[in-house]
Formats: sequence, structure tokens, C-alpha cells
Amino acid sequence: MIRHIVDDVYQIAEYLPARAGVEAVLVYVLLNDGLPILIDCGAQVHRVGIMRELTELLDARAPEVVILTHSELPHAGNLSHIAREWPGVRVIVSNVMLPYIEITPQVPLANISTAHAGALLTPAGRPLQFVFALLKDQPGSQWIFDPRTGVLFCGDGFGYATTAADVQLFGDELPGGVSVAQFRGHHQTAFHYLRWVIPERFNADMDALFARHDVRVLAPIHGNAIRADIPGHVARLQQAVAEIRAAGVHA
Amino acid sequence: MTTTVFGEGLERVAVRAITPDIFWITHCLGDAAAAIYANYFSMLPNAADYTGHRVVDYPFSAFLIRDEKTLMIDTGAPRQQANTLKAVEHVLGDQPLDYIWISHIELPHAGNAPALKRRYPMAEYVAAAGGEQYALHGLEGARLTAAGEVFTLGKHALEVVAPLFVDHGLSQWAFERTSGMLFTADWAHNLHEPARGECFMFLDEMTAGGYTAALHADDIAVNAWYQFPWLKWTDPDEVCAAIDALFDRYQPRILAPSHGNVIRGDVMGYLPLIKAGMRKAIAM
Repeated sequence: MIRHIVDDVYQIAEYLPARAGVEAVLVYVLLNDGLPILIDCGAQVHRVGIMRELTELLDARAPEVVILTHSELPHAGNLSHIAREWPGVRVIVSNVMLPYIEITPQVPLANISTAHAGALLTPAGRPLQFVFALLKDQPGSQWIFDPRTGVLFCGDGFGYATTAADVQLFGDELPGGVSVAQFRGHHQTAFHYLRWVIPERFNADMDALFARHDVRVLAPIHGNAIRADIPGHVARLQQAVAEIRAAGVHA
Repeated sequence: MTTTVFGEGLERVAVRAITPDIFWITHCLGDAAAAIYANYFSMLPNAADYTGHRVVDYPFSAFLIRDEKTLMIDTGAPRQQANTLKAVEHVLGDQPLDYIWISHIELPHAGNAPALKRRYPMAEYVAAAGGEQYALHGLEGARLTAAGEVFTLGKHALEVVAPLFVDHGLSQWAFERTSGMLFTADWAHNLHEPARGECFMFLDEMTAGGYTAALHADDIAVNAWYQFPWLKWTDPDEVCAAIDALFDRYQPRILAPSHGNVIRGDVMGYLPLIKAGMRKAIAM
């Protein structure tokens, strides 16, 4: 399902049943004045739907760049298909990633470049800030901040499950926004190491990141975009991190 | 069994016996490593301590247990798929593969699972409990296991171990009770130098050739810093206490990480060095 988020940024969403409700797997699209950029490209099990909606949204234009938040299959599973469909597409991954072994061999290594955290790059002419991902489920995870729209593409961070009834709602459209319990449910599984993390230290780094960037939209891959009350959502995620820690290292 | 190497460069895979029935199936780059890992140390926050110091390489390993039943721990990555299959066939001959046991679902660990399943259709995927979307990761129908579950293969028995240090949320380690082999996935691994002929060596062979405890502790730290960037938010005493408890419980005699040279003796003797490396990683 395609939804417009802000300015030229859209989400293409697929949903899966989960114990906690419904889990989203998203692809974000920046139309970028005719030079489209994809943030992740979805799971291979959703290939047909994603390709259909991508074709509709891009209106016959080829994507210039796919930026991967990380290389797991729910994020990169369609990369080989996209590379076959649009052979000129370039791929940007974190410089901590090893493309030769972490990216599907169907993408020529010459088409893959790396970005280091802190870099301001202009893929397809769009200034994008590459950000150290505070919540990594791979060493090569990265977040991407779009200064033009204020969207922070945050990979598996800020993910949440929702109910079938609410599945089409943006996070800010849920009553009260995304709750602590929703964030806790996702993060305690996706980031199992949070049981080791001392919340005060982690949360201080989280505060510093949001002080550096004027984030106006949170764009997780496993949850619809969150377009309002960013401070409230950050605070609820921080509370979730504290609760995961409180459950204990051996939880 | 000597080391047998299939292919070369980015695709090469080696197979070597750790015990008569446990095999190390591993890829590393060898001469091609210098280009890929040129910046391995220069990206560190304390790069001055390391820059220019060694040209290193980084293996990606699977482990194959051959018994009445057979079990493969992890699968390697798609780029090495053809040679990984050759290595497995080289070990198993006509014997089928019964279990494809996945530590976690990144491509270098699980990326050849579908290809192995095609080659050995009766093999069962095994993955960590807690996951409910394994189909997204190409592991549809995986049998889910919890820590403590044991796979009896004949004279070997593989126990699922709750992992201490992980990147992906759904991860598992393993302990093979007969050999005393502890498999720790992304944790506790060294680096090696192709120019010193260290590819596919066991760690004791590297030590005999001059690889020192100081280098080993440095490598543990550097790799942990890369692998587990969250360590900077942890308490080193708590981390080391957990390592002590793990080693105390299992008393491993072989240490088999995914990305290091296998330690096949005096594993308990490496415990202080491993903890020192972890403390250093946390302080980076």
C-alpha cells in the first residue's frame, strides 16, 4: 500500500501477521525531482506487490539509488530483482558493511558504494546525512537523515507492531501515538542486546542525536512512519529501553 | 585430513577437519584481503594504536558434524555457494545432510540455506525460538529451538546455547558435548594475516608461527567493537561475569567462532585474554 508521508517522500508497505498484531515491512521512496531514491527494498516474499507499487509510484522512471539501512532480507531481499529490472541502479551501504559477501552477488560490486556515519552525501543530487545508527541489528546498519524533509530513516529502530484494525495508520494517528509497550515489544526482540545496555548512557546518546538533527518524521522499516510528536515518541522509546534493561540481562 | 580449497579469490572455500568428524568450512580472501580490509584499523576510534600495523583477513565459517545424523552450523554466503556445496559434498560423500542449523539470519551465516535445502531436500532448517517471520529470511518452516535443547546425532550431541553477545536479535550459539566445541557465532574471534600464511590455520598453529597473546587480545577488542557497537553502553564487570559463567558452565575444549581461527586446545587458558579484549572494546 502506498501512502504519502511528506513532501516527496512515500512509503510502500507490506504487512504480516505477528503475535503482537501486525508487523510492517516498508520501502521508502523519495521521488527526488525525477531521480528516485529508495530506502531499503523489501522482502523477496513481497516482490510482486512491491514491484507493482514501485512501478506505479515511479511512473516509469528508474530508481537512481537504493540506500540500504542494512542487508538483511526484509530490507534487501528484492535487491537482485531491482538490479535486474533497472541494471543501472546504484546501491549505498554503510562503510562497515562488506558488500562482496553481505550483498547479493547479482548486484555488480562496481555499482555499490559505501557511506560512513557522519558523511553528508548527495546521491542523485539529494543532500542526505548518514547517521550512526543507535539501534543496530547488524554492524553495517545505518540511519539516514533527509534535511529537506526532516525524515530520519531509522531501519529497525523505532519499529512497532500494531493491530489489524490500525494497520493503515501512521504512528502518530494511533490513539496517543506509538506506546511504550509497542516499542518494547519490537525492540526487545529486534535488539536482544538491549538487556545489557545501561539506559542512561544509551538515552544520552539518543538525546544528542535528536539535538543534532531537526527530525520531524521517524521512518522505521517495521512500522508506519511517525509524523508528529517526535519528542514524545523518543521519550517512549527511551522508556522502553529502560524497561528492557530492568527485565534483566538474563531475560 | 589436510586443508582442501575449492575455488579462489572472492569465491574460495576451504574445508579442514577439527576432529575426525567435525569439519571447518570457511571462506577468507587471502591475497585479495588487502584491498577489502585496507581500512580495518584506520576506522577505529583509537586508530593510532593500530594504523599500518597489519594487513588482516576475516573468515566466514560454517561447521559440519558428521555422525549417524549430520548437522551443519551456518551455511556461508551466496557468493561462495558453489564452493560451499562442493565442500559439504566432499565431507558427506553419499550421506545426506539432516540439519541446517542457523545461528542468525545474516547472509554470511544463512545465505546458502535455500541452496543446501535444494541439494539436500530432507534437511531441516533449525533457527532460534522467538522468531515468527523466518519466511522473510528464506527459512520457511524452520524448526525453532530454545537454549538447552539437544540434537543427538549419534556419538555427538549439539546443545543449543543462549548467546551472550549478538547483533541480530534472533541468535543462538551451540555446544557439542563430545568434543567440547563451543560455537560462538560473531563473538571472540581473532584476525589473521594472509602474508604470514595464516589462512585456514588453527590458532595454535598461528601461535607457533609468532601470533602473540597481545595481538589476540587486540583482535578480540577490535572485532567486538565492530561487531557489537552497543558494548560502549555496557558495564564491563557484568560482561566479564557472564563470560566467566559461560566458560564455567561448559568448560569448552574447542572454541569455534564464525569469524576467527579455531582454537582446538586449552580454551580455558584463553579466558583472561578474551575478557581483557572485551574490556578494551567497551572502553573504545
